[in-house]
Amino acid sequence: MVPSRPLGWYGDTYVIMWFLMLVVFAVFGKGVYDRYRLWRLGVDEQRFAGFGQGIKNVLIHGIGHKRILREGYPGLMHLFILSGFLVFALGTLAVAVQEDLHLEIYQGSFYLILTFLLDIFGLAAIVGILMAFVRRYVLKPDRLDTTPDDGVSLVLILGILVTGFILEAQRIAITADPWAAWSPVGNALAGLFAGADNGSLKGIHQLFWWTHLLLTFGFIAYLPHSKMFHILAMALNQFFLKEKPAQALAPIDFSNEELEQFGVSKVEEFTWKQLLDTDACVRCGRCQDNCPAYLSQKPLSPKALIQDLKAHLGEKGPILLAQQAAARQRGTASQVAAAGEGAGAVLEKALTGEVIQEDTLWSCTTCRSCEEQCPAFIGHVPTVVDMRRNLVMMESNFPQEAQLAFRGMENNGNPWNVGWKSRADWIEGLDVKTMAEAEEGEVVDFIYWPGCAGAFDNRYRKVATSVVKLLQKAGSKFAILGTEEKCCGDTARRLGNEYLFANLVQENVEVMNGYNVQTIVTSCPHCLNTLKNEYPQFGGNYEVIHHSEFISRLMAEGKLKVAKELGAKITYHDSCYLGRYNDIYEQPRKILQNIPGVQLVEMERHNYRGFCCGAGGGRMFLEEHLGERINLMRTEQALALEPDVIATACPFCLTMLEDGTKAKDVIDHVKTRDLAEILVDVVQ
Amino acid sequence: MKILVLMKQTFDTETKISLDANGKIDEAGVNFVVNPYCEFAVEEALRIKERLGAGEVTVLSVGPERAETSIRQCLAMGADKGVLVNTGGLEGGDEFTTAQIVAKAIEKVEYDIILAGFQAVDDGSAQVAPRVAELLGIPQVTVITKLELEDGKAIATREIDDGVEIIEVALPAIFTAQQGLAEPRYPSMKGIMQAKKKPMERYSLADLGLDAGLVGTDGAKVKIVELSLPTPRKGGKIVEGEPAEAAQKVVQLLRSEAKVI
Repeated sequence: MVPSRPLGWYGDTYVIMWFLMLVVFAVFGKGVYDRYRLWRLGVDEQRFAGFGQGIKNVLIHGIGHKRILREGYPGLMHLFILSGFLVFALGTLAVAVQEDLHLEIYQGSFYLILTFLLDIFGLAAIVGILMAFVRRYVLKPDRLDTTPDDGVSLVLILGILVTGFILEAQRIAITADPWAAWSPVGNALAGLFAGADNGSLKGIHQLFWWTHLLLTFGFIAYLPHSKMFHILAMALNQFFLKEKPAQALAPIDFSNEELEQFGVSKVEEFTWKQLLDTDACVRCGRCQDNCPAYLSQKPLSPKALIQDLKAHLGEKGPILLAQQAAARQRGTASQVAAAGEGAGAVLEKALTGEVIQEDTLWSCTTCRSCEEQCPAFIGHVPTVVDMRRNLVMMESNFPQEAQLAFRGMENNGNPWNVGWKSRADWIEGLDVKTMAEAEEGEVVDFIYWPGCAGAFDNRYRKVATSVVKLLQKAGSKFAILGTEEKCCGDTARRLGNEYLFANLVQENVEVMNGYNVQTIVTSCPHCLNTLKNEYPQFGGNYEVIHHSEFISRLMAEGKLKVAKELGAKITYHDSCYLGRYNDIYEQPRKILQNIPGVQLVEMERHNYRGFCCGAGGGRMFLEEHLGERINLMRTEQALALEPDVIATACPFCLTMLEDGTKAKDVIDHVKTRDLAEILVDVVQ
Repeated sequence: MKILVLMKQTFDTETKISLDANGKIDEAGVNFVVNPYCEFAVEEALRIKERLGAGEVTVLSVGPERAETSIRQCLAMGADKGVLVNTGGLEGGDEFTTAQIVAKAIEKVEYDIILAGFQAVDDGSAQVAPRVAELLGIPQVTVITKLELEDGKAIATREIDDGVEIIEVALPAIFTAQQGLAEPRYPSMKGIMQAKKKPMERYSLADLGLDAGLVGTDGAKVKIVELSLPTPRKGGKIVEGEPAEAAQKVVQLLRSEAKVI
């Protein structure tokens, strides 16, 4: 006898099932289409990177759980549920092929293996669902907010799973299944029905069969209207993913004189992808758990931001669609207006100020932690900056301190507004040439770009000086731009002043292309990111290397040799723009590890989970009026390790953490130093 | 209400001043900006217009061609039109000659009220606006931090030593702005785009019927004999030791080195 199980017990009622299925699919289709139409309200954005790449992304991050499994409990919980879901989809498909296409596949060893897997993964899914119940309703971590939909979704899925197992148990009891051992869960439960007579058991079985069917149909029809829609939307988001959405923000074409809106002032001015983001968010809260603004009690939670946009799209989108439809039917202006009647309040709601509070937008340090943790690959930071752009460029409405930074960048090419003529003063006595001086016949392999901090900030000048000394020791041939260098524009761009940014870039690119610059070594991770990833948008194509990378390379090549021991316990603080933005985690650590006597200790939040110093996204130049001070929080995290030195590789981090040690009154015995400063003291 | 703002283009406040071979201030590589005090005046003018819901703000500047960029900056902030009196090469004037030119140019402009910065950050002489008021024969209130307008009159708060003075004057009148009057706005993109297309009237000295001999260096009442840079400040000295001992040393140093006691 070929192993299988009987199917089609209720074949005479299949007409009803088919009819219901049509209805369910129609409801599902309409639901999905409605969401799709909302996304299409957004403006264009090119995100297609090829089918192969897209599917690979979904396999790695959706099916493969690469990011989801970074956290144990919720990761496993989700893996259990999703794998159950996938195996069930396969099982259902096999049954459909056998029953409806009459291809005899659901038998033999395939049947045995599949039925076994269905039991195992079904059980895993139940465990997953129970874990989810416990987490949401008993453990209640801060990052979860609970709505009725969460409960309904869990109950629905649990219902489908439990009724499925009961059906299996009843069938085993009724048919005395000889292969029951291959259905371990059903087999174990079959004992419950051992005493019942076959007739009444069949009746109960039919009742459960219908219940199971209706629950499943309910699940499908409900899906586009619930959080479970993330199954589709998140997969789509992964299909179209960009690894680091904030790394290079979208430029604006200022030469286009037709442009009247700069930045986003209305939800429909976001791109379709940004609107899809709002549906891909399943409120897992990993972003919030790692957000320095949220953790320091500022009015920003990346999760809430995306959810607020979703809610606003949900209320405003249908009105806009109705207006569009009325306009298409050559409706008169009054008809078009009528389509939006009673919706005036929604249409007039200001995106920045009402839907999203201004303080929320200014709280963001653009540290990219939200994006880095998000399993759905939502681009929170560009969305924040788009709204900042509107506030700055359209409404001229921003924290007052930003104006000083803007003016400084405009007039003197640096956010501190120090007279530009003194930009090269720091090289006095260092035997460093400017490009203008070096031009005549001298070999220059790269330019050293100290950034505004290296050139003007007294504390960071010491770092730039250390870097120069290391480069000279290694015999590197380089020059600086000197007074021809201007702020890279990162601060302007991330504060939303794209116009100022574009002007700065244009001037820098002109100068560097004029000197035919190929390679830049910089001391500032913000300059690094902007020069490397954003300047190509403006015709500036350079190889850009951070000094930590470059120095680590020089050490590996034997051009820099450590001569002394340094008995010190050091913790390295990851700069967001070095780490999360550009994946430079290892090289800075390697420098420290190569110094004998150094004991490198890690803070709990390090590498991709590194905690921002609080100065990114232009916040370096804004007051911190709300909540706890982020730099103090980070300093405390470092001090918990009782280090002798807090090592940094970014001017902003250095300032923030050194200020932190000052405020904590430990500056005398806990030094905050750049890697280059640490190294220059111990090299030959 | 027609509001006229007198604006001077000055060196960027962070400019490192240097002298050229002829002992004159070297303008090479210098950034020019709207005199910050004039910027307060522009901002106040815009706020008056916004409060009233109507009106026109005109910005008038006397200077070389480059002054246009600063007028455009004011237009980007929201002023309606600019007037540039191009001194083209006759930049050697003083407060007296500049006031003559401004007063003459004002004949071409309608106004109900005139605002200006109380002084320019470059020469800091704080004279032009008061002189213009005298030439026009209208009242002036200088160094104001607050301005309220009522029918045909204005109530201005001006800074004086150890307090404020509240002054009521009939319009038209000239008011000069002190810091605190109105924090200048940052131009929006819309402002920047529109500024390129806003009207700009240009006059040469001849257009105003002014004799170059009277308004240039020759007409100036002030002759600059020589310019020199201040001597750079020397680093301080820290006296170490026990308080009593250190105090003794300080007294000694004040006698022998600083020679102030």
